[in-house]
Amino acid sequence: MPFLEFLFQPKNELEQGGRSAAPVQSDEREPEKTCPNCHNAIPLSRLWAGLNVCPCGYHFRMGVRARLRYLVDKGSFCEMFSDVRSGDPLGFPGYADKLETTRTSSREDEAVICGTAEILGQECCLFLMEPYFMMGSMGTAVGERITRLFEYALAHRLSVVGFTVSGGARMQEGLYSLMQMAKTSGAVKRHADAGLFYLTVLTDPTTGGVTASFAMEGDIILAEPGATVGFAGARVIEQTTRKALPKGFQTAEFLLEHGFVDAIVPRSRQRELIARLLKTHAAEGGASA
Amino acid sequence: MFSKILIANRGEIAVRIIRACKEMGIATVAVYSEADRDALHAALADESYCIGPAAAEDSYLCGERILSAALISGAQAIHPGYGFLSENARFARECIRNGIVFIGPDPELMERLGDKTEMKKLVEGTSLRPIPGTGVLSGLEEALEKAEKLGYPLMLKARSGGGGRGIRLLQSAEELRQTWSLAVAECASAFGDGALYLEKYVWPARHIEMQILADEGGNVVCLGERDCSVQRRHQKLIEESPSPGVSPAQRAALTQGVTEAVKKIGYTGVGTMEFLLDKAGDFWFMEMNVRLQVEHPVTEMLTMLDLVKWQIRTAAGVPLRFTQEQIVMAGSAMECRINALAPGKLGMLHVPGGHFVRFDTYLVPGVEVSPYYDPLIGKLIVYARSREEAVRKLKAALCELVIEGIPTNIGEQLRILSGEPFMSGNYDLTLMEGR
Repeated sequence: MPFLEFLFQPKNELEQGGRSAAPVQSDEREPEKTCPNCHNAIPLSRLWAGLNVCPCGYHFRMGVRARLRYLVDKGSFCEMFSDVRSGDPLGFPGYADKLETTRTSSREDEAVICGTAEILGQECCLFLMEPYFMMGSMGTAVGERITRLFEYALAHRLSVVGFTVSGGARMQEGLYSLMQMAKTSGAVKRHADAGLFYLTVLTDPTTGGVTASFAMEGDIILAEPGATVGFAGARVIEQTTRKALPKGFQTAEFLLEHGFVDAIVPRSRQRELIARLLKTHAAEGGASA
Repeated sequence: MFSKILIANRGEIAVRIIRACKEMGIATVAVYSEADRDALHAALADESYCIGPAAAEDSYLCGERILSAALISGAQAIHPGYGFLSENARFARECIRNGIVFIGPDPELMERLGDKTEMKKLVEGTSLRPIPGTGVLSGLEEALEKAEKLGYPLMLKARSGGGGRGIRLLQSAEELRQTWSLAVAECASAFGDGALYLEKYVWPARHIEMQILADEGGNVVCLGERDCSVQRRHQKLIEESPSPGVSPAQRAALTQGVTEAVKKIGYTGVGTMEFLLDKAGDFWFMEMNVRLQVEHPVTEMLTMLDLVKWQIRTAAGVPLRFTQEQIVMAGSAMECRINALAPGKLGMLHVPGGHFVRFDTYLVPGVEVSPYYDPLIGKLIVYARSREEAVRKLKAALCELVIEGIPTNIGEQLRILSGEPFMSGNYDLTLMEGR
């Protein structure tokens, strides 16, 4: 008897979620990273296979290029304004050298990358802040790049998606960096006035001047689980107010409970959700409509 | 999610897994022996590879050949089903070394849970009570001394035994003296390990097992118990859930104990913890099965959860989407195992249907039931709102099942179901004694 023959195939779409292959664990001396939450040591390959998230749910920090890999459609990211770079307007001692070494070690020119991209086919403007470039601090170049991105999005009627991570304004640029708060906020306002959609995803940590400006100005504000989000540091607040802070203060979960964040979204669900939100809120007449 | 999975098994379980994969949009790779050339699982899969002659040692137990098939076909994961290589830590390790996910627990944990002495250490400190017993015995002197402390009757067991093999019942010290050297020699030749230990003989008792499901993040849910007390020579015949012999209070305590133990062990995937429930109402922990069980559909029918899909999901690192509180277990589910009593060629096949009647099988007209493998040819599972209704449904469905050309145990199953002990729910492992 030959094989039974089946005439049709169900052709179901592949279920989403989880790893698509085995984390390579062939090397027993593979470096491991200890999770600060569950204290287990996880082999790096396994960690990366799970989007740099510990099985217990702890989200490790993630550089911009790694984030692009899981977030946007392959080959769709087109970087813009990469020629805008920080100068040393105050002649701050050692700043120029620090910029140079940071550029070499992080392989990025600035603490933010901007561009256009497609997420599951939804076109948008995208900025991603780099935690490994002076902890994503906001200098003149960061402000300028983001402002220009919003202006570009306005001209082309595109939605903006931004992933924030920042220690705040860059102290080496003094008042110039503080001014970026007003400048970026103005650009966001003009973008919003035109009826365009802006989505932010707060990642660990989003603090200082970035929180006080464009990070919290999104129409929809998402956050990664466990992310620290705040303006001044918790210790500073405690010392100033001389009051004990509530448990979980300045975490994404605390902010969600108090209405500052719309939802907490683990990395594995971000791409799908962002695409859906972009589709729902795409501007009429824009490229993504 | 994995886009391609190889199923390292045959028969109804291979078919069951392929079906789950098809629903999930996962491409499937089947392996088959020469005797299974026309088998349903090989026809149903997207790709099939012949891995050797009929004898299991040369095909389904041959890890290297199965791995080669996985590597050639580009499968990202291997589902071992039950039996064959499902509890083989060496094979699991070999899969991982080749960059292929073994859908099952971590090999190291598998080894520790397979070793009964180690397993007892693992559950120490939880509310689970292992059957009182000794560690591995050094010799007859130690055995006699410890046996005296535990009190007869006792079971003399092989550390590497399982599935009812390597077990001896002892009534007195005299019997222990007589059987000791024979038992050591036998176990050494059968399992390659002559290590023996003693265990208290819990009898009469019910065989109760708890189904668990756990993800990588340490979330554990317990999906209730299954009563597998209808057994002959340690081979299960009928399984049901919930057990008529377990009270809601006992169930709640056991659920909590099992969940706690699984969290402590750090287990991932589906697993089963086996207990003996004695006349006094005490649960004695026997062992943990680190794989999918034959009788998993009973739990599936009761909880409406697809265990195979969840096993694949947890292996891919997907977290559980429900909590213990969200699991609803109402009604009654039962399974009858249909075994072939002799090899033969299937003529006509008529499968019962209807509301909540499920028949998991690999039978298609014309297929040969070969003597090389397990005699299980199908599993008839029903679900109903009450236990009484489930028994009625199971009996009606059994009568409708026609398997021509192969002698089966359908008649015997009907007699068990109609007997007073089963109907009343008041039965234990002694039910099949002398039958």
